[in-house]
Amino acid sequence: MTGVPLNIDWQQILLHLFNFTILFGALYILLYKPVRDFMENREAHYAEMDSKAEQALADAENSKASYEKKERDFDEEIRTEKNRLSKEIETERERRLAAARGEAEKIISDARGEADREKKEIIESAQKEITEMVTDAMEKLTLEQTASDAFDQFLDAAEEADK
Amino acid sequence: MTKKERNKAIIIFSVIALVFLIGSIMTGGTGGEEESVQVVMRDAVMHEVNRVSLFGLKDVNPSLIAAFIVSGIMIVFALICRIFVIPRFRLVPGKFQLVLETVVGIFDGMAKQNSHINRFLGAYIFAAGSYIFTGTLFELLGVQVMTTEGHAISLPAPFADVNGAIMMGCLSYLVIMSGGIAGNGIKGIGKTLKDFSLPISLSFRLFGALLSGALVTELVYYYTAMSYVVPVIVGVLFTLLHALIQAYVLTMLTSLFYGEVSEKVEKPPKEKRRLGKKRTTVVREQNA
Repeated sequence: MTGVPLNIDWQQILLHLFNFTILFGALYILLYKPVRDFMENREAHYAEMDSKAEQALADAENSKASYEKKERDFDEEIRTEKNRLSKEIETERERRLAAARGEAEKIISDARGEADREKKEIIESAQKEITEMVTDAMEKLTLEQTASDAFDQFLDAAEEADK
Repeated sequence: MTKKERNKAIIIFSVIALVFLIGSIMTGGTGGEEESVQVVMRDAVMHEVNRVSLFGLKDVNPSLIAAFIVSGIMIVFALICRIFVIPRFRLVPGKFQLVLETVVGIFDGMAKQNSHINRFLGAYIFAAGSYIFTGTLFELLGVQVMTTEGHAISLPAPFADVNGAIMMGCLSYLVIMSGGIAGNGIKGIGKTLKDFSLPISLSFRLFGALLSGALVTELVYYYTAMSYVVPVIVGVLFTLLHALIQAYVLTMLTSLFYGEVSEKVEKPPKEKRRLGKKRTTVVREQNA
């Protein structure tokens, strides 16, 4: 007490210090640390949720981009396939048309050949028949001449016999 | 409530207040009969007369007893919170959880804002701020103790005693120095020692602020005539205000100085230093 201004008492200062140290320790262990830890855990929890949501969003964006790419590829593939099929159909159509034309030409050609052959055959047959008819007629004529000659000869012979 | 009922209530309330007023005037004298206002004021600063026995071991200032009681109350409160409240914390906080989180968040945020080494600083300013705030509000309770002289006195705030304020100021200075050591090693001590007046300014700012509050309150309560209405403003509002202000000022100053001394000092690159030396030599030669 003596000589120290404002009655500063070092022992009481140390007692205050002791008191505050205990209070500091207790408050830190019982209140500050658990509350701060809880707040940090919650922050981490929400940060994790946020990052998960962002990740999900990024995944969705990627999926969307992927699907859009697939869609574009699919459209492209459809267009390519369509073109290819169109070309194939065109080629096939042309091939079949050409084949049909060839066949038609062949049928016509065959028909013409057949008609010519039949015509030839008819002509030949007619010629043959005409020849035969002429021959027959000639024969008949010949035969008729011969018969009358024979008859005459017979008659002559008979007459001679009679004589 | 009808107008008639309201008027009736006001009249009853006024009559009761008047009865108390008359009673207090008739039963009391002029107030502070045993000691003069000078003695009361001097004792509030020096604590020469009204001392309290600490478990029969030593006579101490009443503020030390107040400090023990405040610490006890705070530790019990913290213990209750730890056992019954904190385990029931939810992600979406309730009202009380929000209060606790706000208080912790304020000091934690203050520490993070001012220094990159902020774990210990946050805990310290939380304890110091809560202690100053609660301790200052404690004087509102007017807890009575018996002095060694046989008088009953109401316990003042723990920091209305110069010893408590010196403890807080010097401890804050040591904490600031620890920040300097943690951030810059031995150089940190040098940086802290540059502000050698800091423990004195921190201590006496706290002591002066709380003492002035205590003195004004003592003065107001000394005279009976001033014991009506005035204490509502002086006793409650002023106490609340300087509890908040002093808690904020000490924690803010501690964080600021802690941040300042713990900040890493970046050495300039060697090339630049060499160039600087060369330039200085060239300039000297030119001057010569």
